[in-house]
Amino acid sequence: MHFVIGGAWQGKLDYAKKAFDLKEEDIFRCTAEAEPDFSRPCLTHYEQYVLYCIRKGTQDYYNIPENCKVIIADDIFCGVVPIDEEIRLWREESGRALTAAAEKAETVTRVFCGLPKRLK
Amino acid sequence: MKILFSGGCKNGKSTLAEDCAVALSRSGGGLYYIATMIPHDDEDELRIKRHLHNRAGKGFTTLEQGVNLPDCVTKENAKGSFLLDSVTALLTNEMYHDGIYEPAAPDKVVKDLLDFAAKVENAVFVSDFIYADADRYNEFTEEYREGLARCDKALAEICDTVAEVCTGCITLYKGELPL
Repeated sequence: MHFVIGGAWQGKLDYAKKAFDLKEEDIFRCTAEAEPDFSRPCLTHYEQYVLYCIRKGTQDYYNIPENCKVIIADDIFCGVVPIDEEIRLWREESGRALTAAAEKAETVTRVFCGLPKRLK
Repeated sequence: MKILFSGGCKNGKSTLAEDCAVALSRSGGGLYYIATMIPHDDEDELRIKRHLHNRAGKGFTTLEQGVNLPDCVTKENAKGSFLLDSVTALLTNEMYHDGIYEPAAPDKVVKDLLDFAAKVENAVFVSDFIYADADRYNEFTEEYREGLARCDKALAEICDTVAEVCTGCITLYKGELPL
């Protein structure tokens, strides 16, 4: 599995599409509202899936399916500590969950201003 | 040569950018600081004072250009080295003009930045990394963040060197520094 991380609007998905030869139908955009389509090889906005799990009371985000080839996530853990309790919890859980994902990943790439940097 | 620096606030971006601009200006053509901040309160005045103090003696000629960036380029100075500090302030000025919100500002600023970069010999751009928050802000702020990201990406594409500055340490994403 390849893991792509970076701030919002940095061009992570554009990078991943090119680097891992992904087509639109390969990509599932996670939301806080619904279960992801795990049959797709690329999950983007994985941090939203973390929020979905928090709301459901599970830690399923630690179980990354075998067929998942690319995980893309927004780095949401460098900013200000949020006042809202749920967002605060989400921020911290995202840090743990995405660190675990990066640990399992074959490669980790951070995208900054549209430019990739291999971290692992 | 064109360079883009981004990173967190008060992490040493400006000082590094100044040093790079000074180094680039050794080939001649003059050294120019584009002052983008339009002061709104005492805090801004203090910030400007600090920047002026830090720049003193480095040989910059200050050009006041809070909006319409390419207007500061003339036939006389185009061969020079310019420091634009910061893209963030430039976008703010264009996006929130006299209390009026201008949604088309990011497109205009991207165009202005690319026009400006094409006209001048050397330029160092400073931006701010404001993309790693968990909280979502009001729609104006979110559009501002997205707009600044567009400016950064457009600059990163055309710049020879792109680096992130974190607590004074440099991570290069592209090219080399002229130091």
